[in-house]
Amino acid sequence: MRLRSTLAAAAVALAVAAPLALAGSSSDPGVTSTSILLGGTSPLTGPAASYASVARGAKAYFDSINAKGGVAKRKIDYDIVDDAYNPAQTVQGVRRLVEQDKVFAVFNTLGTESNLAIRDYLNQMKVPQLFAASGATTWGRDAAKYPWTIGFQPSYAAEGFVYGRYVAQNMKKAKVAVLFQNDDYGKDLLGALKSGLGRSGSKVVAAEPYQVTSPDVGSQIAKLKASGANVLAIFATPTFAIQAYVFANRLGWKPKVIVNGVSGTSNIMVLASEGGKNKVVEGSITTNVLKDPTDPRWKNDAGMKLYRSLLAKYSKGANVNDVYHVYGMAVGYETVGLLRRLGADPTRAGLMKAARSMNDPKNPFLLPGVVVKTGSGDNFPVQQGRLQRWTKGRWVPFGGLWQSKRN
Amino acid sequence: MSPRTQRAIGFVAFACFVAFVAVLPAFVSDFKAREYAYVAIFLIALLGLNVLTGYTGQISLGHGAFMAIGGYTTAILMAGNEQFGGPISGGLKDVWTLPIAGLVAGLVGLAFGLPALRLSGLYLALATFAIAVAMPSTVKRFEEWTGGGTGIQVFATPELTGSITNVHVLGRTLTPNDWMYYLSWSIALVAFAVAWLILRGRTGRAFRAVRDSETAAVSSGVSLARYKTLAFGVSAAYAGVAGGLFVIASAFVNPDTFPVALSIFLLVGIVVGGLGGLSGLVFGAIFVYYLPLWSQGQDLGSLLPDRIVEETQKPGGPAIVYGIVLILLMFVLPNGVGGLFRRAGQLLGRRRYSPRK
Amino acid sequence: MILAAFSDFMQQVVSGLASGGIYALLALALVIIHRSTGVINFAQGEMATLSTYIAWALIAHHGWRYGPAFVATLAVSFVGGVGIHRVVIRPVERGSVLRIVIVTIGLLVAINGFVIWEWGGEPQQLQSPFGTDTYTIGGVVVAAHDIGTIVVALGIVFLLWALFQFTKVGLALRAAAVNPEEARLVGVRVSWMLALGWGLAALLGAVAGMLTAPTVGLDPNMMAAVLIYSFAAAVLGGIDSPLGAVVGGLLIGVLLNMLSYLSQYGIFDWFTEELRLPMALLVILGVLLVRPQGMFGQPEVKRV
Repeated sequence: MRLRSTLAAAAVALAVAAPLALAGSSSDPGVTSTSILLGGTSPLTGPAASYASVARGAKAYFDSINAKGGVAKRKIDYDIVDDAYNPAQTVQGVRRLVEQDKVFAVFNTLGTESNLAIRDYLNQMKVPQLFAASGATTWGRDAAKYPWTIGFQPSYAAEGFVYGRYVAQNMKKAKVAVLFQNDDYGKDLLGALKSGLGRSGSKVVAAEPYQVTSPDVGSQIAKLKASGANVLAIFATPTFAIQAYVFANRLGWKPKVIVNGVSGTSNIMVLASEGGKNKVVEGSITTNVLKDPTDPRWKNDAGMKLYRSLLAKYSKGANVNDVYHVYGMAVGYETVGLLRRLGADPTRAGLMKAARSMNDPKNPFLLPGVVVKTGSGDNFPVQQGRLQRWTKGRWVPFGGLWQSKRN
Repeated sequence: MSPRTQRAIGFVAFACFVAFVAVLPAFVSDFKAREYAYVAIFLIALLGLNVLTGYTGQISLGHGAFMAIGGYTTAILMAGNEQFGGPISGGLKDVWTLPIAGLVAGLVGLAFGLPALRLSGLYLALATFAIAVAMPSTVKRFEEWTGGGTGIQVFATPELTGSITNVHVLGRTLTPNDWMYYLSWSIALVAFAVAWLILRGRTGRAFRAVRDSETAAVSSGVSLARYKTLAFGVSAAYAGVAGGLFVIASAFVNPDTFPVALSIFLLVGIVVGGLGGLSGLVFGAIFVYYLPLWSQGQDLGSLLPDRIVEETQKPGGPAIVYGIVLILLMFVLPNGVGGLFRRAGQLLGRRRYSPRK
Repeated sequence: MILAAFSDFMQQVVSGLASGGIYALLALALVIIHRSTGVINFAQGEMATLSTYIAWALIAHHGWRYGPAFVATLAVSFVGGVGIHRVVIRPVERGSVLRIVIVTIGLLVAINGFVIWEWGGEPQQLQSPFGTDTYTIGGVVVAAHDIGTIVVALGIVFLLWALFQFTKVGLALRAAAVNPEEARLVGVRVSWMLALGWGLAALLGAVAGMLTAPTVGLDPNMMAAVLIYSFAAAVLGGIDSPLGAVVGGLLIGVLLNMLSYLSQYGIFDWFTEELRLPMALLVILGVLLVRPQGMFGQPEVKRV
C-alpha cells in the first residue's frame, strides 16, 4: 500500500537524517521532512459509492502536485478509508487515521451524519476536520463551539433559500410542490425554500417525503400532481431526481421544475431527458458553483483543461463527465493553497488559522467570480453560486452570482 | 482422552487465554488495544448467536437488530432523549447501562422467540432478515425516542463514559483505549464462561437435542417451546450487551450504526468460527472486525503488490475482495476454524493410536 | 370534485400496480430458484443488476440495438446462472443451509462491488422496450411500460406453468428439488437440473432488471431496494407459486400506496413514509406465522 511504503521510506529517511530532524523544530503528527499525511473516509462500497469520486478527484490533484515536487518539498499523501457511508465505520476509520496512522488532518470526509459522528472527537483531540464534504449549516454556524471543524460547499439552507427567492421574485402566486429526501438534507432544503418564499404570494402547497430505501417515487409524484401545483421542487439524490422527471412526464404533468445542485448535473439531466422525449426537463432551474465538465462553455477554459488532463493522468478510467471529481479537485486545490501558506513548518493550529482566513478568488475549478473566503466571523468558505436554466440540452446561467449572507 | 482430562486441558487453555488477554495491551500500541476491544464486542455477539444458531439450529439473520436495541438502550440511558422530546433524562454511567441493555434486548428476544417457534430453516432466516431490514426505518419513525436519522451523541456526556477521557480504576490510570479493551474483554470472558456453563449442562443438552431432531427431542420430554424461546432470549441478551458496548466504544449511535450487513457478518462470523463450538469464535470475531479492513488493503500493505492494493482502493474494489473471500472460506473451511481444531485433534489422536505399518 | 378525488385515488392504485409489477418480476426469479433448488438466493437482485448493466453496456458502449442486446443478455445471464451453480454453489450444496446462504451473500457483495468497480456508481438510463407512450382513461394515466411489465410477468407465469406441467424437463426439475435421492434413482441428472434452475432464475432476473431499470433508473443498487419487496411478494403469494408471486407483488404495491394515500385523510394516520419498508416486512412476518405456504402455495408436509 502506498501509505505503508511511504511510511517505510520515511522511516529510512528519518534514520539517515535523524540528527538533522532532531535539529529541526518539532512538528505536529503526520509531517515528516518529505511528506505530509492527510486522511479521510469516503464510501468506496455500498449505496453511496458514487460519491467516492469526490475523494478520487482530490487525490488526483494531490498526485499532480506531488509530481511537481509537492508543497515545501513535502509530498501530500492522502489516505482514503472506506466507511460504506456508515457513521459507525466513519468513527472507527477516523480514529484509526488519527491514532494509528497519525494523520496531520482529517480531510474531505463525506456525509453529514459521518462528519457529525466524528466532530466531537476530532475537536477534543485538536485534529483539524478540514473541508467536511457536506452542506449542513452547522459546520459554519457552530465554528465557535467546534474550532477544529470547517466545511466547504454552500450550505443546503443557502441553496434552498435562493430557490425560494427566485420563485418569489419571478412567479406570481406560484403553487409549489416539493419532493424531498426524508432526512436532514432534504428537510434543510425544504425549510429554506419556505423561508425564501417568505410572504410572497407563492407558497408550498404539497411536500412529499421519500425514503432512500424506496425503490421508486411514483406514488409521491402522483400525489404532488394531484395538489394542483405548477412548480415542482426536487430535493433528492440523482437516482430519485431522474425518477421524478420520468414519472412527471408519464403522468403528463408539465410543471416548472427546480432541481437541487447535487442532482442538477448535466449528465443527470441528459439521462432524465430520456433521449429528448421527456419535455419536463426543459427549462429546469438549478444552482451550481462548480464548472460542469460537460458544458461546452469550458471547452477551452484553462481550469477545465487542467481538470481533464489531471484526471486522465492520475485517475485512470475515471468518468471525466462526473462533476464530483471537479468538486474533489476544487477542495484539493484549496488545501494545497493552505499548506503553501503554512510554509516549511506546518502545524495543525496553523492549518486551522489559515483555513479561517482564506481569500482565494482564483480557484480554477469553481465558476468565474466565486471567491473562497473566510474570516472575521464568516466560516463558510464557499457561499456563492449561479442560477442556471436547462435549455436545449445544456445549462445556461442567468442572473449574476448570488451571494448568501445568511447560510 | 477421558472427559476429565479434556476438561482439565480446557481449563488450562482458558486460564492461559485470560492471562494472554490481560497482558496483551502492554505489547501493542494504544490504538491496537482499541481494535481488539471491538473484537471482544463482536465475540460477545457471536457467543450469543452461536447459542441460537450453532447449538439450537435456528438461523438468525437479524442479530444486528438486537444489538441495535441494546445500543439504543445504552445511548438513551446515558445521554437521555429529552432533547428530542422523549421522556428519559439519562445520566446513567456507561457501565451500568450494559446490564439493562442486555435485559431489554433479552426480553425482546424472548418475545420474538414465541412467534419464531412456528418457523424453521430458511423461513426463519427470512423472517429475522426482515427484522434487520426494518430496524433502521423503524428507529427513524420514533424520532422522539431515538433522535431519528441523526442519532444520539454520547460525546455530549463525557463525564459518564470512560471511552473519551482517561479512567482511574483500581489505583491505575488507563487511556480510553485501554479502558475499552479491558472493559470489553472482561465482559467477553465472563460471557464466554457463562455460555460454557449454560451449554455444558441440562440446558445445553436440550438445545442440541432440539437442533439434531425436534421430533426426537419432543419424544424424550424436551419442551420445544421452552428451549427455543429461551435460546432466543439468551442470544438476544448477549447481542444487547454487545450493542451497548459498541455504542460506548463509538460514542455515537444512529440507525446506520447497525445495518443489515452487520447481521449478515455476524452469521458469517459464527460459521467461520465454527458452529456449535466456543473457542473458534475468537477467530470468527477477528474475522468480522478485520476482513473489511483487509479487503481494502489496510494492514496488508507490505504483503500485497501495490498494483492490487490500488485496484482495491477503487470504488467497489473492497466489496469484490470481501465477497470472494467469503465464498472461498465456505469452500475450504466448511466447519470453520473450530472444525479445523477438532479435525486437528482427531488427526493427532488417530496418529497416536494407529498401528505401525 | 368527487370525480377528481376518485381519479387521484385510482392514480395511486395504478402507480401501486406499476411498482407491484416490478416486485413481481424479481419475485418470480426468487420463486423459480426456490422451487427448483430449495434455496433462497440473496444474490438474486444483484445478479439481475449485473445482467441489466450488460444489456446497457451493449447498447451504450457497443452500439447494439435493443432487440439483439436483450436476447444476448438473456443468453449470457442463463449461461452465467448455470456457471454460478457449477462453480460456487455446487461445492457447498450438500452442507448446511447456512453455508449456501453465506455463499449467496458473498455473491451479493462481490457482484455489487464488481458493478461499481466496472461501471461506476452513478446512475444510467436504459430505454423501455414498450416506449414512453401513456394512455389517459377517465383522468387516470397509465404508462405503456407498466402495462407491458405486468403482461410480461403474467406471460412468464404461463410459460412456467406450461414448463412444469407439460414438459419432461419441468417434471425432472421438480423431482430434483423435492426429492433428489429418488430422482437420481429414476435417472434424473439432479445436479444439472439444479444448474438449470439457477440458469432459469438468472434469466428471469435479467428480464426483471431490464424492465425495472427504465422506471427506477439503472444504478448499482437498483435491485437492492426491490429485492426486499420481492421477498415480501414471494412470501405473500407462496414462495413456490409463480402466480402467487405476481399477485403478491401487485397486492403489496397497491397496499403500500393505499396506506400512504389514506394517511393523508386521517385514516391510518400513524402511517408515515418511514413505515413503508417495515410494513412490507410485517407482511412477511405475518404470512410466515399465519399461513407459511402463502396464498397460492401447498402446505409443506413434514416427514419424521
